[in-house]
Amino acid sequence: MRKREMLGLVAGTTASAVLPGIAFAAAPTEVTIGAPISMTGLLAADGLEQKWAYEQAVADVNAKGGVFNKAAGKKLPVKLVVADDQSDPAKVTDAMERLIKIDKIDLLLSTHGGDLNMAGALAAEKYKKFYMITTLWPHMWTPKKFKWSALFFYDAGGGAEVPFLIWEKLPAAERPKKTAIVMEDSPDGQGFGGAFAAMAKKHKAEVVMNEPLAMGAKDYSAYILKMKARGADAILLFCNPTDAITLVRQMKEQNFSVPYFHGWKGTWTGEFHEALQAASDYILADGFWSMDYPYPGAKELGERYEKQYKKQSVTAGMFYANAQVLLQAIDKTGSLDPKTVRDAVAGHEFKDTVQGDVKFAPDGLALISSSANQWFQGRLHLVYPAVPGGWQLKMAPPWNQRK
Amino acid sequence: MPRRSLYAAAALLVLVFALVPFVPGAPDSYLFFYLFLVFVHIVISQGWNLVAGYTGQISLAQHAFFGIGGYTTAVVSTTLLADGSYYFNPWTLLASGVVAALFAALIGVPLLSKLAGDYFALGTLGFGEIVRVALVKGGSVTGGSFGISISSEPFDTLRPHYWVGLLLAVLATAAVYAISRSRLGLALMAIREDPLAAAASGVDVLLFKVLAFAAGGFMAGIAGGLYAFYVFAVSPGGFLNLNWTLYPILMCVMGGNGTVLGPVLGAFVMTAVFSAANVWLPTAHPIFSGALIILVMLFMPNGILKAQDTRQGVR
Repeated sequence: MRKREMLGLVAGTTASAVLPGIAFAAAPTEVTIGAPISMTGLLAADGLEQKWAYEQAVADVNAKGGVFNKAAGKKLPVKLVVADDQSDPAKVTDAMERLIKIDKIDLLLSTHGGDLNMAGALAAEKYKKFYMITTLWPHMWTPKKFKWSALFFYDAGGGAEVPFLIWEKLPAAERPKKTAIVMEDSPDGQGFGGAFAAMAKKHKAEVVMNEPLAMGAKDYSAYILKMKARGADAILLFCNPTDAITLVRQMKEQNFSVPYFHGWKGTWTGEFHEALQAASDYILADGFWSMDYPYPGAKELGERYEKQYKKQSVTAGMFYANAQVLLQAIDKTGSLDPKTVRDAVAGHEFKDTVQGDVKFAPDGLALISSSANQWFQGRLHLVYPAVPGGWQLKMAPPWNQRK
Repeated sequence: MPRRSLYAAAALLVLVFALVPFVPGAPDSYLFFYLFLVFVHIVISQGWNLVAGYTGQISLAQHAFFGIGGYTTAVVSTTLLADGSYYFNPWTLLASGVVAALFAALIGVPLLSKLAGDYFALGTLGFGEIVRVALVKGGSVTGGSFGISISSEPFDTLRPHYWVGLLLAVLATAAVYAISRSRLGLALMAIREDPLAAAASGVDVLLFKVLAFAAGGFMAGIAGGLYAFYVFAVSPGGFLNLNWTLYPILMCVMGGNGTVLGPVLGAFVMTAVFSAANVWLPTAHPIFSGALIILVMLFMPNGILKAQDTRQGVR
């Protein structure tokens, strides 16, 4: 390396390190909310839905004048800044660094997914910035006793209990008698599988099959034959959309159907219906939310999403509600101080979000219910939690009796 | 430039970097974090440089060793040193490197004795998959797909990460420099150029290949340990990400593979490019980065340092 190059590098490094130290204080003119979001990578589809929901929440608040700020003595507009975490837990911290150090955000909304949000919560602890989380299992978050985050989500056990709660409302003759638990061969699948087996035991449901599903397989005949041989009348399936589509197609080819088919992760996407068309009818999908919820703004939000993307969303509302909680807390306290805002969330209730009333325990956790939605004629209809005058569950007839 | 002047300039540069944290406001700037990332990348890249650049063995397992290092730090921190003394415990960091090196040696013997070229590369890639699955299936020891989180309570500032990163980057670069000028380096380069000729000249080809592979694993492992102290959460998704192999390869190729300063230069340039693209093109940065890589491969296949040498007719 030449001497001049070396001197240049030295000077450049020093300058680059000194310049950021020069900062100018300014009166707050807006509230800046940051969010690490998976805009690229495996979770990009969910991430872009999350980004849309956050943007809607911020736009809706700004349309009403923004959020109150005591220091400014008036309402301030809210600005949302996002940073791509690349669907990578190790990059969430990188995204948070950018948001905190470059964009100088005041408070944070979460990304999506357990390991990513755990990394985000840890980064929030490091930098003492409030991080409002959704989509992280409470049993992972609670033992950490985090001081700079709050969480609202459902627990794995609660999610796995949903089908059994639905069955309890059915006439005895219609209730499934023989359940097949088919969970993809992944840690999430196996973890969920354990929860389903435990819930089946709790609700005294007979499990005739509980086997891991080979991920990415092209032939699920062996599973289908086994379920058929054991007289299964209900399937609880946890797998990705591609595998769910393959399984349903092959069930149809082999003329095997069950009255109750409930999927997690793989059956909620618009792509699931697009690939299967009428064959997706009667199949249930889990969800974080539903536009059929009878809460203020839920229907409008769902319609807005549908108008823009020509498909339904069963997640957007929860992300929107996450932003609603944070924005309401800022407005209520008139403060951007992370601790003040966190204290205004933990132990408090937030009424009339699109997810309903969200009540946080003193440790900052609010448990909500997951939803179950049934595909019928190209639309997802809310089955659980049941709403007055809402959709009634339809048990699936055999393939040859479907119109 | 005389060697003594080169050493003095390098020492001055390192000193300047070491003093950066004292600049008011510097630790709170994104550039500070960028420099920390650069140091981490330099350490992993120098590891790959030693294996591929000097020994000619294309390894695709740096992410596996990085992950092993990160997990070693996390497991030690949450079990043996759960009393809180884990934070920047030098023995923990050293253990991260040593465990990764042991794995490298263990897998290196069968792979390097039987495979070469593309087949060796695929074998190392397979090893990475085995590690990933083993960590996912590791139950409570590895935390499954969720991984292990360490308490971030001791974190106060990024300064210790920066200094340790700088120290490791300097040590890794100095080690590669020393090796490149030693009999060991000559043996490695002889293997790279012609393993049969090297063996005929009395070089124990397998031993030196495994040594280089283990040294590369050690560097990646210790970098993984340091990074674990930064994110406080290790998971298969984050630490076994193939980017921890691909980025160092790009950095070596961009800077100049098989040179001492190539990975350093590559780490500065590529980390800047990736960070800038991330900031300004949040939804399209992979396209930008991909296009840049293609351009580099087309117009600078030997890297920045070697391109300059080629222009000057020096090889």
